[in-house]
Amino acid sequence: MRKTLFALTLLLGAGAAEAQLPFLKKRTAQPQQPVLQGIDALRADFAAQAGGTTVYYGAESAILGAPAKTALGLQAAWLRRHPEVVVRIEGYGDSLDTRDHALAMGARRAEEVRSHLLLLGVPATQVSTTSWGKERPGLGRAVTILVR
Amino acid sequence: MKRLFLLVLLLGLAGTAHGQQPAATVIAVPPLTSPDSGAKGNQMLAVGWDVTQAIETDLRQTAEVMPLKPNRDDYYSYPEVTAPTFSKWRAAGAKALVTGFVQGRSDGRLTVGCYVYDVDKGRELARKGFIIGANDWRRAAHKCSGLAYTAITGAPGIFDTRIAYVAESGVGEGRTRRIAVMDSDGQNHRYLTAGAAIVLTPRFAPRASQLAYVSFAGGRPSVRVVDLDSGQERPLIAAEAISFAPRYSPDGSRILFSMMLGANSDIYVVPAAGGVPRRLTTSPGVDTDASFSPDGSRIVFESDRGGSQQLYVMNADGTGQRRISFGGAWYAAPQWSPDGEWITFTRRGQEGRRIGIIKPDGTGERVLTTGPGDDGASWAASSREILFQRTGANGRSSVYRVALDGSESRQLATPQDASDPDWSGVME
Repeated sequence: MRKTLFALTLLLGAGAAEAQLPFLKKRTAQPQQPVLQGIDALRADFAAQAGGTTVYYGAESAILGAPAKTALGLQAAWLRRHPEVVVRIEGYGDSLDTRDHALAMGARRAEEVRSHLLLLGVPATQVSTTSWGKERPGLGRAVTILVR
Repeated sequence: MKRLFLLVLLLGLAGTAHGQQPAATVIAVPPLTSPDSGAKGNQMLAVGWDVTQAIETDLRQTAEVMPLKPNRDDYYSYPEVTAPTFSKWRAAGAKALVTGFVQGRSDGRLTVGCYVYDVDKGRELARKGFIIGANDWRRAAHKCSGLAYTAITGAPGIFDTRIAYVAESGVGEGRTRRIAVMDSDGQNHRYLTAGAAIVLTPRFAPRASQLAYVSFAGGRPSVRVVDLDSGQERPLIAAEAISFAPRYSPDGSRILFSMMLGANSDIYVVPAAGGVPRRLTTSPGVDTDASFSPDGSRIVFESDRGGSQQLYVMNADGTGQRRISFGGAWYAAPQWSPDGEWITFTRRGQEGRRIGIIKPDGTGERVLTTGPGDDGASWAASSREILFQRTGANGRSSVYRVALDGSESRQLATPQDASDPDWSGVME
């Protein structure tokens, strides 16, 4: 099998600001605008301290390798330090795959990451999952947008 | 290209042993006449000419029937509709004849009569009358075309059908995707979604009255059902789980779909009107893309439970699961043909993704397209043609149609890039 790598991106609140605002407000009672800026700051902090927002899988695989587990360990530690932050785990499929199988593979990969984070003590309420299958442009671009 | 030529050459040399493609049946399509006279008669003849041209266009799309070019000046009298001059059409080289009339009604609507004849034997094959609105002449033409096609080939016509697909425009992050629906001749094109969310895999109910599709609205992919007449829309299931790959049962009463439960994708069935889903597969792998046999008793689906995507057949209640694909590649996205004879699929191998067909018992595998970016095959009601999407190296997609006879794929005209085609059954 070709050594193409596929990504699973850990998204810090991207595109889901509305969904998180009530949660943040409830716990911190901060006004809205600073919270939004705070999310950007949190994203940058997460990316820096967790060593990146993306973990990789081998082709056709939903099994976490050692480098992925190391990265997730750092991410889990960060999430435990920031219990007020909710993250969405977005799985991606292979662009060469058929459409529906890619969707399922993305969901499986996201779910594997979620399970691993829960195993490392991250509360279930802090993480949700989704899949983009092969429906979004390549991995490089997706990462660029997330850590901007 | 060279390989295709070689294949044609080999088939030619092999002669009748491999079954040569029978020549298309030539059919005469003279202008429809009218029993009406005077100004009204002229008006009806004008409608009749529109219908005639639409019939010719319809039949020219097929591999099995070849229409003679209609001549507007060479029209026949009303009595000739039921008593054609067969010798004349025999001399013109026609084996079949479709004739008819258009008659104005007192309520402003039209009666369209269609007659199909075997020219050699000089006998009627079929006849049918329709009452239609004055502007619905195209629909009447599709019904006449279907009558002729079925009388000649024995298969349902594909003219009074719809095609749904995903219309794609823009590039990169700004790309929008909308569900589009049109008649199979490209008329009455319209969009069902506005483009705010990514949408996938539109799938018609059998008579094209409803459509199920996948929407990413809300962040997670899930199946939605829309009524095409009222525009009313609802989620297929109440659960918040990721759901995808919808497909109606042949009688329209149930919908198969896939749903994620944790890291596991399984196949479920739910009443089309809503209700509690029933789980049909339990393997820990990805089970998806399920499709009923035409009698509703069996289901074909893909599963990677054995390590790679392969096709499986099971009973409609989920029992008796059995792998049918063993061709040394990966097999995905199956759909059972309306006549029950074949299952179409996407084959993933070193040549990329290509569309093929296989018998439900796993024999007779044949690849129909060249790839390398083909996917999403959908049967025509006739079971003789397949629509599919082809993605080029530049990432842009178009919809193509290919016939089982091995002829080359033809691109379908769409206003924008197009993917995920679905071809409906014959409408009523």
